[in-house]
Amino acid sequence: MKKSILVTVFLVIAILATACGGKAPGGANAPIKIGVIYNVTGGQASLDVPSYNGAKLAAKEINAAGGVLGRQIEIVFYDGKSDATVIGNAATQLAETDKVVAMMGFSDSDMTLAAAPIAAKAGITFVTSGATSPKLPDQVPDYLFLACFGDNVQAAAGAEYAFNTLKYKNVYLLTDQGTEYTKLLSKYFKERFTELGGQVVLEDSYQMGDKDFSAQITKLKGASTQPDFLYIAAQPDDIGTVVKQFRDSGIDKAIMGGDGYDTPLLVQIPGKGATNVYFTTHSLMDKDVGTDAVKKFINAYTAEYKTAPENAFAGLGYDTMKLLADAISRAKSTDPKAIRDALAATKDLPGVTGQLSYLPGSRVPQKGVSMILVKDQKLTLAAEVVPEKIPAP
Amino acid sequence: MQNNPKKHFSPLGTGLVLVAGFFGLLAFINFGASSYIQRIMIGLCISIILVVSLNLSSGFTGVFSLGHIGFMAIGAYTAAILTLPLSLKLAYLPDLPGWLENTQLAFLPATLIGGLLAMLVAFLFGVSVMRLTGPYVGVATLGFLVIVNVILVNWDSMTRGARTFSGVPPFTDIWWVGGWTAVTIYVIWRLARSSYGRQMMAIRDNQIAAQSLGISVLRMRLLAFCVSAFFTAVAGSLWAHFIQSFSPKAFLFVETFAIITMLIAGGMGSISGSVIGAVGITILAEILRNAERGVNLGFVHIPPVYGASQIIMAVIFIVLIIFRPEGIMGKRELNFSQLFSFTFRRKKRKEVTSQ
Repeated sequence: MKKSILVTVFLVIAILATACGGKAPGGANAPIKIGVIYNVTGGQASLDVPSYNGAKLAAKEINAAGGVLGRQIEIVFYDGKSDATVIGNAATQLAETDKVVAMMGFSDSDMTLAAAPIAAKAGITFVTSGATSPKLPDQVPDYLFLACFGDNVQAAAGAEYAFNTLKYKNVYLLTDQGTEYTKLLSKYFKERFTELGGQVVLEDSYQMGDKDFSAQITKLKGASTQPDFLYIAAQPDDIGTVVKQFRDSGIDKAIMGGDGYDTPLLVQIPGKGATNVYFTTHSLMDKDVGTDAVKKFINAYTAEYKTAPENAFAGLGYDTMKLLADAISRAKSTDPKAIRDALAATKDLPGVTGQLSYLPGSRVPQKGVSMILVKDQKLTLAAEVVPEKIPAP
Repeated sequence: MQNNPKKHFSPLGTGLVLVAGFFGLLAFINFGASSYIQRIMIGLCISIILVVSLNLSSGFTGVFSLGHIGFMAIGAYTAAILTLPLSLKLAYLPDLPGWLENTQLAFLPATLIGGLLAMLVAFLFGVSVMRLTGPYVGVATLGFLVIVNVILVNWDSMTRGARTFSGVPPFTDIWWVGGWTAVTIYVIWRLARSSYGRQMMAIRDNQIAAQSLGISVLRMRLLAFCVSAFFTAVAGSLWAHFIQSFSPKAFLFVETFAIITMLIAGGMGSISGSVIGAVGITILAEILRNAERGVNLGFVHIPPVYGASQIIMAVIFIVLIIFRPEGIMGKRELNFSQLFSFTFRRKKRKEVTSQ
């Protein structure tokens, strides 16, 4: 009994010590601290680990070239553990203990919304590298920016490419009902595709984590009008299984989706079935057919981590760090407010995932979309699409 | 144990000392500590409420529930819908029924309504399920958790479906969680010490013997389940107004296993054990989370290993279960009055050495 009290007291002292420690001296030449939070463990890890690696690589390159404003960049990193409470604590530590000048992170709306309001309350900008909900900036006034295109942009790009280029008129729409990302994606897709004159012949849904899609497949096979292609809004964890089961049941029509497909699982799980699959994402990470910026990035990434970039999120993490560095150098100051204003004025900043500009008043960037075609288990760039019309967020 | 009452603090005195100490700590954290420490304290109190209330049904009554996080979800969503500012309601939940669209309640009534709704659901669900015993209850309550999740995801007009429910006002502070923690512990402690509590424990220890004594198993189980659901939902409301944006996937297996781990580590059937389990695991997880970022001990620098904290926690838990399968406290309680009188006595008579 006494022992447990002693242990508790010890733990409390230890936590206070941990929380109070680590205050680095400030000064004109002290490093500029940028807070980075990603979920390198837990459900989001397959997107967030490459993102974090990309951000580290960018900081290393910036520092090797002399840093920003003559000062080095120091990444203060916390693992969010895919848990909203932990993320909230980490964001508080970044703002309060570490006194960072800006924050970045995450590839998921929920996670971003757990951290960004805390940053905003402290007057610090938060840039999400990979959360694509175009509704995010409305939920956190002034201080939340996206470094990637919104879901309305990629869904419209998919719809226009299918209708105009592939000449598909009828679509089967399958939606994961379990996340905001998939629900919004299919909503925007449907909106744009029907506006163009296309038809949704059958709509169906499943739940994140489902392992058996035979009910959906049977229903699709029994549909009176057969679709020209399938648009499936899926999460990275599920898409491999989805494609495998549809292909195994003999459906070889084109399958299309969003950047949730941008995971090695898309090719690994279906094996031979991974063909005739289209998806929209931030850029094609391929050193043979990618742009020069992509090739350079892949070489640097491979040299640093002994593996090629796992997906486009690596490029997004990299670009986001460069975006912040660019804003700091144009702000000529490390004042969080000045950084925010400089960031909002970013124009035509080149990056691995395309040129980035923020239009006045918008915190979702103007960016092109890469349409990827998976053919015989190989990823190829089908087109760079800039949608003509984008559904309202 | 009670043979010399003069050497013991009176229960009332002990209670007052504990309450005063607890609120003193809260005041110290509220005025003296960083907002990081405040956040940990808030999270900690919410965990205590969750574990103590789970203990009432799982620990004291022997209804091993895997579905309590479902009640947390009910409390969180109900209270959040009720406290959401009207302008945001129009923007985020345009399809609400008219009377809800124009209702905005304060934190306390919203939390109470959330709790009562969870209690009602627990009653309706419990009437059929509390007849089951052993592992069957676990499976049925797990089913309940899944049902709640599916309803939350699909009831778009009320919950925004799978999309993030955001804009919940940040009402939860140290005093709200502290107050609710004190109320929860007090009510459940009194209930467990009442004749109802003894009947619940009799059912847990030997159901047939309890029935033969005329104890209504169903009634007692329902009582424990409903009270427990109420406080779990209160914790849900507190959590919702703390995190401010969440989606149904927050109320699933990860959270379920987190509170069950705390319950088992502390000891099923002990309220002080639940508190120790919640405090110990929360603080340990937080220390390890900071430690895994790399430690500089001056002479040796340990590089960051992310994910190590989860592994270490798991190992500690396994070791604990091997050496103390009944948890830290088992079914015993910390006896504060004995503890206090022991400390005082030792000061008076220094020749007495303790082990």
